This record gives sequence, structure tokens and C-alpha cells, in this order.
Amino acid sequence: MCKPKIDTIAAVSTAQGRAAISLIRVSGPKTFEILNRIFVKGGKKAFPLPYSAFFGKIVDPSTKQVIDEVIVTTFLSPHSYTGEDIAEIGAHGNPVVVGRIIQLLIKNGARAAEAGEFTKRAFLNGKMDLLEVEAISQLLSANTATQATMALNQLDGLPSKFVAEIREKILKHLVQLEASLNFPEDAIESIDEYQVGRELRKILNELYIFADNAKNGSLVSEGLKVALLGKPNSGKSSLMNCILGRDRAIVTDIPGTTRDTLEESILISSIPVKIIDTAGMRKPGDKVEAIGIERTLKAVEDAYAVIGVFDGSVVETEEDKLILENLKKLNKNIVLVCNKTDLPQKISREIFEGFKTVDLSCKEGTGLVDIFAVLTDIFKTDGIADFYEMVLLGAQQAAALDKAVCALERAVDGIGKNYQDMLAIDMEEAVRELGRVNGETVDMNTLDLIFERFCIGK
Amino acid sequence: MNKHFSVIVVGGGHAGCEAALASARLGADTLLVTLNISTIALMPCNPSIGGPGKGHLVREIGVLGGEMATCIDETCVQMKWLNTSKGPAVRSRRAQADKYLYRQRMIETLFKTPNLVLRQGHVTELIVENGIIKGIKLETGLIFTCEKIIVTSGTYLNAKIILGKSSWSGGPHNQSAATGLSDSLIKNGISIRRLQTATPPRVLDTSVSLDKLRELPGDVDSGGFTWEDRLRRYENQISCFLTFTDERSIEAVKRHLPNSPLVLENITDEGPKHCPSIDRKILKFPQMVTHQIFIEPEGWNSRELYLQGLTTAMPPVAQEDILSSVVGLENAVILRYGYAIEYDALSPGQFRKTMESRIVKGLYTAGQLNGTSGYEEAAAQGLIAGINAVLALKNKAPYWPSRTKSYIGVLVDDLSIWDRPEPYRITPGHAEFRLTLRDDSAERRLIEDGYNIGLVSQSRYEKILAWKNRIENEIIRMSDLSLLPKTENREMMQKLNTGDLKKRVSCVELLQRPGLSYNQLMGLLEENKELSNSDEVYSLETDIKYKGYAERENERIVQTQFLEKIRLPISFFDPKLEILSQETKLVLKSDKYDDLGQAVRKGSVSKTDLALILAVYGQKVQDYSLNGEEDVK
Ligand SMILES: Cc1cc2nc3c(=O)[nH]c(=O)nc-3n(C[C@H](O)[C@H](O)[C@H](O)COP(=O)(O)OP(=O)(O)OC[C@H]3O[C@@H](n4cnc5c(N)ncnc54)[C@H](O)[C@@H]3O)c2cc1C
Ligand SMILES: Nc1nc2c(ncn2[C@@H]2O[C@H](COP(=O)(O)OP(=O)(O)OP(=O)(O)O)[C@@H](O)[C@H]2O)c(=O)[nH]1
Ligand SMILES: [Mg+2]
Repeated sequence: MCKPKIDTIAAVSTAQGRAAISLIRVSGPKTFEILNRIFVKGGKKAFPLPYSAFFGKIVDPSTKQVIDEVIVTTFLSPHSYTGEDIAEIGAHGNPVVVGRIIQLLIKNGARAAEAGEFTKRAFLNGKMDLLEVEAISQLLSANTATQATMALNQLDGLPSKFVAEIREKILKHLVQLEASLNFPEDAIESIDEYQVGRELRKILNELYIFADNAKNGSLVSEGLKVALLGKPNSGKSSLMNCILGRDRAIVTDIPGTTRDTLEESILISSIPVKIIDTAGMRKPGDKVEAIGIERTLKAVEDAYAVIGVFDGSVVETEEDKLILENLKKLNKNIVLVCNKTDLPQKISREIFEGFKTVDLSCKEGTGLVDIFAVLTDIFKTDGIADFYEMVLLGAQQAAALDKAVCALERAVDGIGKNYQDMLAIDMEEAVRELGRVNGETVDMNTLDLIFERFCIGK
Repeated sequence: MNKHFSVIVVGGGHAGCEAALASARLGADTLLVTLNISTIALMPCNPSIGGPGKGHLVREIGVLGGEMATCIDETCVQMKWLNTSKGPAVRSRRAQADKYLYRQRMIETLFKTPNLVLRQGHVTELIVENGIIKGIKLETGLIFTCEKIIVTSGTYLNAKIILGKSSWSGGPHNQSAATGLSDSLIKNGISIRRLQTATPPRVLDTSVSLDKLRELPGDVDSGGFTWEDRLRRYENQISCFLTFTDERSIEAVKRHLPNSPLVLENITDEGPKHCPSIDRKILKFPQMVTHQIFIEPEGWNSRELYLQGLTTAMPPVAQEDILSSVVGLENAVILRYGYAIEYDALSPGQFRKTMESRIVKGLYTAGQLNGTSGYEEAAAQGLIAGINAVLALKNKAPYWPSRTKSYIGVLVDDLSIWDRPEPYRITPGHAEFRLTLRDDSAERRLIEDGYNIGLVSQSRYEKILAWKNRIENEIIRMSDLSLLPKTENREMMQKLNTGDLKKRVSCVELLQRPGLSYNQLMGLLEENKELSNSDEVYSLETDIKYKGYAERENERIVQTQFLEKIRLPISFFDPKLEILSQETKLVLKSDKYDDLGQAVRKGSVSKTDLALILAVYGQKVQDYSLNGEEDVK
């Protein structure tokens, strides 16, 4: 039998091993009973109170050993995320400590939650609609504050409101059109197709911006890929280490040190960025290097931006020129770095013409600020810096948005060419698909995917 | 005299006629009892059949082997295309009927049909034993027994005529009301509500100055509703005319408003939304001055004209005042005054999509009694009821029309869960797949159904099938043809203003360009034209031009069919469904809806529960499509 289990579940709800604070969430009827066993509260407030934070210690009741100093936040059923009693334990972000707290919770009656189980409970308790479930599923896998902000934007219902408004606007025209189609002899003023066309154009433009924000949303949520490209020994690995602020990549004076691409995440102006170090570009010396260079090309292809790295202390080579040729052809954000400015400069500056170029020395750390500034500028120009406007859409929602846009494009294209019944069909589709972006209509395709992710009903 | 029949049909209106014919034609010995044999197939209101949605129903009735389509094709005084400028998905025919000829032809058909017996009589009682129908009792005391009964009492049950302050018991056209049957229905657990409808005055043709008014002729080449009449030319037609109200008419209505039943409130408010009386229009839109009035003939030899748009139950003086204020009607002589009628209809939710009662086994209901309004809606239900009564008789699976396949499907699906305080009328707005349910695709959608049910003869089936294959094969052939960028072709394209031909372009793509027709294209290709009739070419062109739209629509059709296929109450309650809320479980186990689609559309299944149900059944959908099985309906 598959009765809804009403046991108490616990899990870390921030990405493991990253944040300074790890959040452990406990949800279910026995939440406070379990907490009372392992949490020794400081202060005078009675435990639990709705929406309150308590400072105190997690203590193993069997050994009396203090495991961590924590802040526990309580939410009482039904006014919580899952609709059940919830406690969130803010512990220090040490994986060992977090692991011990979880173990302790389980020993005292909780069960380790499966992936997405909190959200599943919230969904089952009618606490959220499908759009929110999508947002939450993003939040679950969000590993930066930026991503979380976007997911939270969604929960605030801002994009929902925007989409709902657009939907209303289209609906208004659709209703009139439908009236004239359904009752041809009822002297209903037939719609002015061209007028409607102009309005749909306007709506389309708004949707394009929204779609862009959504695209940026997904770009950012995955981390913007920035690839380092340059000939061997130009200092790519050194630059990566400088940007990361730690020695991640191996640096030697032997050309061809880096043989495979190497990826590392970092926040630049709060935007998650993946820096990708690559194997130096040259005629491959052996098979391993050949594969490495192939990967370099792939990394460049996938990248959101490319940093071309040049050694300023030597005269430019054929390889440098070839790299520049290739960079010119790329339809991406490109920045050039002229490295080793601590040494006498032999490179001719003309070759950098037409590119944004930053002078830099990895050895002395000069120019590093400039490269951060240039990248931030690029994010801004692309509208990525302002993540408060960004929207995170699930794959199905993005597909629905796309369909709505296509339908409206068809509608606009057909004005004056197609019959009005086509216009009605296109507008109806746009309204319906926008509804799906908002989760206002249940659609089994949407659901298929959501259930894939949350394994409900198993 | 035989007193036992397999099927008894009560009522000889549009629903009753189709029900009786379907039943008899399917081989069941059938009795049709009606209040008055002379008024069988009476059109008590407008003299027209068809229009958007309604015309689709008539086409489908024709394909499935019903009578209305042929009957109106034979007896119309005008045939007209509507919405041709608005596109194929909403285009439909409408006929002006000769009311008298229509009745006469229908009565003749009934008399001619083997297995069918007609009786005049007033049915006052249903005989029901243990919840199963057994027979009927007439006012005279006569009893007939049977296996199945189809009640199609229209607007006659406890009918009351309302005219101003007066009201009296009576049916349409000064006939008597049917009293007694309502009580018998109630006694057997069926609940009843009151609905109303009204009709405009009829005037003497010679008293109307038609020469002052705009003439609205029909279309000679619109063809008829039945497949056999698709290319029929209607050379001889009578026109309709159009006039308008002005300030004077509004003034006249306002003056008499105190005597309007709407103001007097001596009538139920539950009337058809889509044809409000003139008093209602003016109460609701006081600032509007111009209302259309269509003047329609009632037959070739009828001297009466019908005033569409002037429906009212205001007293005779008021009707005279209003008419004399309208251009062309200044001297109009009223032959029959407009009136409203209030009648008993079934309360919502008591019958299935098959038209069988949820309460009494073997009882079927159809037509106005089920809460619709309109001849076409009545006929469609009558046909479905007749078909299903016989299928049940023969212990065969019922015919469940799908809303993804016909307007009839939309109608019965909507109607069996319709619970608004107004009669239901079909329009394209009710059909979410109206590109698929196009007027011209009726045969292609339904001929198999008609044949399998048994109302389509072998020879008719073969003819329509050959026609259908001809069109479909030509569409397939077109997809393989393409036009080369030869100079002559390019010049021709230029001349036709359909864009250039830079490379080889497929015919499908070319036909999707505006302005290029099948005939022109085949001319350019120097290919044989397999299709020459205009209807076939129209279907081919529309199919090809709308291909993308149809494919998108089809994605949704698949989903609707999935929900339709989960019949309620569900036969096997998967233990996994235990996770559902109590309310949903009750819905799935109860006999309130015919399928999950209905429960979902009624909002009886929460999003969460629907999600869970789909997840539980999800695997089965895949199996289903893997098997490539046909829709069971
Ligand atoms: C005044 C009026 C106004 C209307 N206005 C409109 C309108 O504006 N728009 C619109 O679409 N439709 C309108 N109609 C409705 C249209 O007439 C009906 O929708 C259509 O006729 C219904 O068909 P039916 O077969 O259900 O019933 P009907 O055509 O009413 O036929 C019912 C039949 O049952 C018989 N009968 C009833 N009870 C018994 C019994 N106990 N025993 C034996 N026989 C019985 C009657 O004699 C009759 O033959 C109007 C009807 C009336 C009367
Ligand atoms: N003087 C000076 N030396 C530098 C600077 N940056 C890098 N180097 C040196 O240049 C050499 C190559 O540096 P790497 O970072 O390994 O170069 P790379 O581009 O990753 O080389 P491959 O991995 O071989 O393609 C090392 O000896 C570094 O110490 C700089 O700014 N100034
Ligand atoms: Mg390196």
C-alpha cells in the first residue's frame, strides 16, 4: 500500500560543502519532538514559536557532547513551506559537522529526505502550484545566492504577474474575434486585424525581453563559461590561479603543461562564472596533446566569453596570429590579456587592434582588477548583472514560452494574409501556452517532467 | 395490436424523429408515440437549420446516417455559406427551411421506414420496475411494454405559455401541454427544473414593404448538407431581408416594458442567452439603438414571415406598437403573436454522454428536455440516443462520441455535465479542436463510425470511402511532387504574384503560399489532376495549407483522448491511487462523470491529484501508443 507517509524527514537544504552556513531542514509531525531531544536552547523564548529563530546548541543526548552552535528557525503547520511543522537548523558549513547533525536527527526519529521530497510534500499539501514547483526545483539545485534570488523572484510571483497581464491583453482581443467568428450575423464589430497585429507586435517585444531574461536566467544558473585561450606558456594557467586566488592549475615554464581543460567556479560581481583553463594552442606534439587541443576548441565553442592570453615579453608568433584570426571570427564576448607586463615588452601592440585588451602581470598581480572590471562590464551590457530581473524557467516552461512566442509570431505574420480563424487559433495557443508558463493549466507533458524529477507516486 | 416493442420513442420532435429512425433502421422494432401526428418535426421557432456549430452538427448527422441533413437539403428555400471570409475552421452552411415541406417529408420518411410504428397519444406514465424501464402508459390507459425508452418531450412538459400578464397551460403553436409525465419522472427519482424560451411574431408577407429593405439572397453553389448533395446547385431560392430598429422602436419597447414578463417576473429567468428577447436586449443595453431584424420566409407557399430579432412575450398591443416603429414593418399585420414558453427539463447531471439516464436503466432522454435549445442539437442527441438504445439492446458496447472527433461529441460531452441556468446551444467556441472538426472533413472523420454502427449502407460507405481515398491519396501524391525553377515556371509564378522560385520547391510548400491554387499548380507541373470537383479540391487545399496548424492541434487531441479513455467509475482501482485525496477518490469511484476528462473539466480533480493520476497511468499511455491501438470510440 502506498498511503501518504507522514513521517518526519531531514536533509541539508543548502548545497553541500560550499556555504559558510549550512541549512538543515526537518519537516513532519515529529519535528519539534526530535529537536527537543538534541537542541539545547539559549535565551528565554518558548520553543517552538511560529516564525521564530532560536539560538542554541546541538548536543548529542547520549554523549552530552556539543556538536555545533546553531540557529534554529521554526515554522508551524500549516503555515510553512511544506505545510507541516518545520525546523531549519543553521549550522556551520563544515561537512563533518553537518553530517553529524543529520545522523543525530535520524537516530532520534527522522528519516533522510529523498531529493525533492520537501517540495513534493509542499505540492501534495497544496502549498504551491506547478510554476512554484519548477522554481523550487531550481532552488534546490541552486548553488549560489544569485540563483536562489532568481528562484525567489519566481516565488514572489513577479514573472507570474507579468505573464498573466500579457495573457489578459491577448485574451481581450481573442474574445472579440471569437464573438465575430461564432456569431457571424450578430452585427458584432469585427476586429481591426491590423490594429490587433500592431498590439500583438508590442506584446511580442515585451515577451522577447522576458524570454531574454529567462535565457539569461538559465545561463547564469548554470554559471557563465569563460574560456582562456592562448599559445603554450602564455600564462593561462597562471591567470586562472590569479583569478581564483589559489593555486589550482599546474604552472611550469615548460610549454604544453596543461593537457586537458580544467574548470573552476567563482563569483564575479555575484555572478557565478566558470573559468576554463585550456591546453595551449599549437601544432600538437603527441596524441594526448592533440586530444587536449580538440577539447580546447570545444571549450571555446561552448563558452559565453573567451579571454585570449598573450605573452607580452616575446615577439608575437605565427600561433598568436592564428589565435587572433580565430578570435575575430567568433561571435562571442572576447577580451585580450597581454600578460607578463613585469618583463620588457617585445610584442607589437598593433596585433591587439579592435579588441578590448587588458595589460596584466600574473607574477605581480597587476591588472587583475581590470580584467574583473571588463568582465563585469560585459555582464552588464548583456543584461546579466541585474539578476533581480532574471527569471528562471524550467525546461517545460521555457518550451511553453517559446511556443507562445511562435504562435504570436505566426499571428503577426499572418495579418492580412491568413483567415481570421487562423489568427484566433494562434492567439488561443499563445494564451494557452502563457498559461502553462504560469502553471495555470495542468498539462501532462509538464507533469511528466516534474514527476520525473520528484518521483511522486512510487 | 402489438403492445410490446424493443424501443419506444416518446415525442415526434427533431430529437424523436432521429431517435425513432435510427432505432428502426438498426433493426429494432420501434414505436413512436407523439401528442399529435400532424405536428411531427414541427419547427416552432425560426425557419432555419444550420449556422456555425449547428451546421457542423447537421453535416455529422448526415454522415452518421441520420435524417435531418437529407430532409433539409430537400426542403430548403435558401442555402447559404456563412463565415467564408473568416476561414475554413468556422465556415458553415445555413438553410432556410420550408417548415411545412420539412415536416411533410419527415413524416413520409417515418411512415416509409420498416420496423417503425407511429401512434398519436399522450404519454403520462413511465413504467419502471426495480430501477429498470418496462414500458409506458398513455392518458387513455393504454399500456405499451418495451426494453428501452427514449423520451424527447421538447418544450411540452407542463408547458405554460406567457404573454404579457397572461399565462396559460399549453405547448407551442397552440397545442396542448403534456401533463403527467413530469410527475412520473420525478416519482422515479429524476429531478426537474424549469427553463423558458420565446419566439417572435409572424407577419403577413403582403403587409411588409420588402422593397424598402436590404435583400439577403442565398448562395447558388453552396451545396447541401449531405455528402450526396455536396455539389448540388440551388438555382431557385427565396431571399431574406434585413431591417433595423431605431429610436422609435426603442421608445416603443421602453413604453411597454412594465408589461414585459421580464419585468413582471412571471416567468423563470432561465432562458437561452444567445437569443434574448427584444425587451431583454433593451434592458441590458439601454444605450444601443440599432438592432438587426432579419425577415425570413417560412416556406415556398407560406404567407408568413418570421421576424428574427424581435422575440418577445410582451402583450399584443406592445408587439403591434413595436412593429409599426420599424422601417418596412409600419403596416405589418401580425398573424401569430410572439410568446414565451416555460417547460420542464431535466436538472443537470442526470444522463450520460450516451444519453442514457444515470438513474433509470434503459431510459434515454434527448433534445430540449436535456436542457438544449435548437433543432440541430435535438436531432444530434436523438440520433445518439437511438443508436445507443439499440446497441444496449444488442448488448453491444455503447457509442461514445469523442469531442476530438465531432461536434456531436462536443455536444454530448458538454451537455452531460452542463449545469448553467440556461439552455445549451452549440457554437464553434465550444469546440477546442475546430480545425480538425472542420465542416468539410465530416465524412473523413465519421464515415467509419457510421458504417460500424450500421446506419450507413455498404454502397454508400464504399462511395464515400472512394471519395475520401481520392482526396487523401492526392494529398500524399502532392507531398512527393515539386516544381523546378525553370524559366516558364518562374514567369508564371511572377504572374500569379506568389513569390519567386529560386530552387526546387515542394508542392506542399507552394500550396501554403498565399494565392496559389491546386489547379494552377497542377497546370504548371503538367501533371494529371486527380481531383476535379470543387469540394475535393477545397479539402485538399485546406488540409495542405493548414498542415502545421493541424499538427499542433493534434498534439492536444492526443492528450484529451487520453483523459477521455479513463472511464469512470474506474474499473480497476490501482492501489497507487490511494495517495489521492478523499474527494478525488470518491469522484473516481462514483458514477457522476463518464470519464476523467469530464471530471477534470468540471474542476472535480485538483491539480495535484490529476498530476498523481497521470503519473500512475503515465506508463500505460506509453504502452498504448506503442501498440498503436485505435481509439475505442
Ligand atoms: C416558443 C419557442 C421558442 C423557441 N425558440 C428557440 C430559439 O430561439 N432558438 C432555438 O434554437 N430554439 C428555439 N426553440 C426550440 C426548438 O423548437 C427546440 O429546440 C426543438 O424543437 C427541440 O426539439 P425536441 O425534439 O427536443 O422537442 P420538440 O420539437 O419540442 O418536440 C417534442 C415532441 O414531443 C411530443 N411530446 C411531448 N411530450 C409528450 C408526451 N408526454 N407524450 C407524447 N408526446 C409528447 C410533442 O408532441 C413533440 O412532438 C423554441 C421553441 C419554442 C416552442
Ligand atoms: N614573469 C612572468 N612570468 C609569468 C607570468 N605569468 C606566467 N609566467 C610564467 O610563464 C610560464 C608559463 O606559465 P603557465 O601559466 O603554465 O602558462 P600556460 O599558458 O598555462 O602554458 P601551457 O599550459 O603550457 O599552455 C611559467 O613559468 C610562469 O611562471 C607573468 O606575469 N610574469
Ligand atoms: Mg597551462
